Amino acid sequence: MKRTILHVDVNSAYLSWEAVYALQHGARVDLRTIPSVVGGDEKSRHGIVLAKSIPAKKFNIKTGEVLWSARMKCPNLVVLPPSYSLYIQCSNALVNLLKEYSPLVERYSIDECFMDLTGHCRNKSFEETAWEIKERCREELGFTVNVGISSNKLLAKMASEFEKPDKMHTLYPHEIPKKLWPLPVRELFLAGPRTIPVLYKLNIFTIGQLAHASPALLKQHLKSHGITLWKYANGIDNSPVTPGERIIKGIGNSTTTPFDVDNKKEAFLYLLSLTETVAMRLRDKGMMARVVAVTIRDTQLSFFSHQRKLAVPSNNTDYLYNEAKRLFTEMWQGNPLRHFGVHLSELTGNEFCQTSLFDNDFVLRRQSLDKSIDTIRLSHGSGAVIRGAFLHSGIPPLCGGVHESFPNMRSLL
Amino acid sequence: MKFVCSKHELYEAISTVQKAVMPKATLPILEGIYIEADENVRLVGNCFDLGIEFSVKADVMSAGSIVLNSRIFGDIVRKLPESEVFFEVKKNYNTVIECGNSYFEIKGMSAEGFPMLPEIEEEKKVSIAQMSLKEMIKKTIYAISTDENRKILTGSLIEVQDGEFTIVSLDGFRLALAKALIKEAVEFNAVIPGKNLNEIHKIMEQKEDEVKITLSENQALFEMNGCRIISKLLSGEFMNYKYFIPEQFETEITVDTREFINSIERASLITSDDRRFPVKLMISDDKMIVTSSAEIGISKEELKVEMDGLDITIGFNPRYLLDSLKVIDDEMIRVSFSSSVGPCVIKPIEGDRFIFMVLPVRMNS
Repeated sequence: MKRTILHVDVNSAYLSWEAVYALQHGARVDLRTIPSVVGGDEKSRHGIVLAKSIPAKKFNIKTGEVLWSARMKCPNLVVLPPSYSLYIQCSNALVNLLKEYSPLVERYSIDECFMDLTGHCRNKSFEETAWEIKERCREELGFTVNVGISSNKLLAKMASEFEKPDKMHTLYPHEIPKKLWPLPVRELFLAGPRTIPVLYKLNIFTIGQLAHASPALLKQHLKSHGITLWKYANGIDNSPVTPGERIIKGIGNSTTTPFDVDNKKEAFLYLLSLTETVAMRLRDKGMMARVVAVTIRDTQLSFFSHQRKLAVPSNNTDYLYNEAKRLFTEMWQGNPLRHFGVHLSELTGNEFCQTSLFDNDFVLRRQSLDKSIDTIRLSHGSGAVIRGAFLHSGIPPLCGGVHESFPNMRSLL
Repeated sequence: MKFVCSKHELYEAISTVQKAVMPKATLPILEGIYIEADENVRLVGNCFDLGIEFSVKADVMSAGSIVLNSRIFGDIVRKLPESEVFFEVKKNYNTVIECGNSYFEIKGMSAEGFPMLPEIEEEKKVSIAQMSLKEMIKKTIYAISTDENRKILTGSLIEVQDGEFTIVSLDGFRLALAKALIKEAVEFNAVIPGKNLNEIHKIMEQKEDEVKITLSENQALFEMNGCRIISKLLSGEFMNYKYFIPEQFETEITVDTREFINSIERASLITSDDRRFPVKLMISDDKMIVTSSAEIGISKEELKVEMDGLDITIGFNPRYLLDSLKVIDDEMIRVSFSSSVGPCVIKPIEGDRFIFMVLPVRMNS
């Protein structure tokens, strides 16, 4: 069946939302009209550009760039700290507006939504509806969006990436050769920094060239990802718009440390601190994890990751922490570190628990301990009970876990 | 060195000793099979964890020894026609293999420097019928742990005491034990790596012929029909398994093995393995209800059992139960439950030729 899919993308989301908030609270300048960025906290070394205004873009400031280099490019740059709770509010407002048009709204990331309009426009054309959505966002919510219209999610997403801001674009299959194929191949969804050099080597520079390349050749060089890209370049994508909370596949947490960590003791404390929050969230969702992964980044920004499947799924902080410690010890070469992450995946429900000869009573006792700590933290704040190891360590007893509901872009449509 | 032997026997010897040859080694000689002609022909493969020596009947014309690459030697002999094989080592270790109308000449290596199997002459010796040991390994090997963090459990314990020969494997979630009687009055304990035990199991035949086991400090020697197998032992103390096997039970049933297997297999059809949905057993009034429920639906069936003790409801990972039940040949078995969260013990109706223990799944809801 022919579908009509919309992709709604907020223009410079974090910055727009900050600007709207500021204007509503009496600011006289619209941040969107001056060079400004939303950036992380430099003191704790999170200082990168998270979002930028269009005037800032003219200074060649890029998302992900470190703040000091952005300031070099534009000395008058206004830097705002991020406020995630505001962004979640704004994102919810957008979703609610979209739901007036169709129940099939999928929040793809904090500032992007897909919606399936098939059969939901009675008196208007799809383009008119899309236009109305775009106008209402600006008028009612105060921020601008780009709307892409097509017959599947991929093309709709590509369409909304065209000219910005506050624009509506169509990219129907018959428009692919004219609108999609001339674009450089790096603009294609999922053609990332690892893939691009491979494609360049194969003399593929535009999406059109990729669309006309032999799938067998692509598969040989890029495995199944090659086929996916070839399909995308040809505008083929059948994934449905899936509303509601998606099934959680994994829970993770990571943090950049305010100082370089060069000893095991502090590294372990960071791992414990991350595990505390991750395991708490896991228990909150009523789940257990089978796979534990630890990621680290050293001061050269090299990235390492190591994971292991557990003999039995668990949601116990100590058990998961011990596994994280072991993984870390096996992986770490001794170089100073600035970033830690703990991720849990292969989640299962906690209704059943395989008992083991080694830890029968112990497991039950640890479970009830976890439960009591969770209850205290929920009613009296997360700092109400902390582990003694963190006293005077300068390391927060619970790390991360603020903006968990909206992971960054998924690699799956 | 020169000899003639049958292709069939030579290939059997090669494929047996190949189990102990490293496919990739740092030294080429370690990827080889040692061949020695004396009165008979002897083939040896040795990867230090496991060493196998196999004798082949042959007509030896001149004695000598050589090492040939295991893969190429094996591939050649496997493809030869079923006939007499003529084997000769010429100058510079060039080796001729001739059979029917085919002729091969391959480069060998000097046998010097090949790690020969150590001689084990110890007092601690025990003999047991091959088919009996083979059966005991089959009954216990599936319960070996794969967890490298508890290395000792990646092997099986062989325990000889008071005229009993016992093999025990356990991985924390289940335990399997098989027992046989022997004549010797010796005592020994050894933990054989599961991987090696598996190879030994394959090499042994369904025969009354005995296998002789000799134990040294860190190695065990298995001798049978012209074959010597040396396995290293896992070091460390095996779990005190007896401590784990309960003796007091709340509920005991006698059940038909085949029927029990079938009903668990049917129940596990709808429980997908990755979510580890358990199979639930509800026992009361000489009946056992086997049920399962997963996202896709539920299943339920009733089995007649003979029952003693209290009513009980208990959940298990169906795979763990099936692994044990499937190696049982007895028509009827005795299943005992210590409690709804404690281990369950499966035994023959009489005696204790085997004891299987499975830990349940605790159901939180």
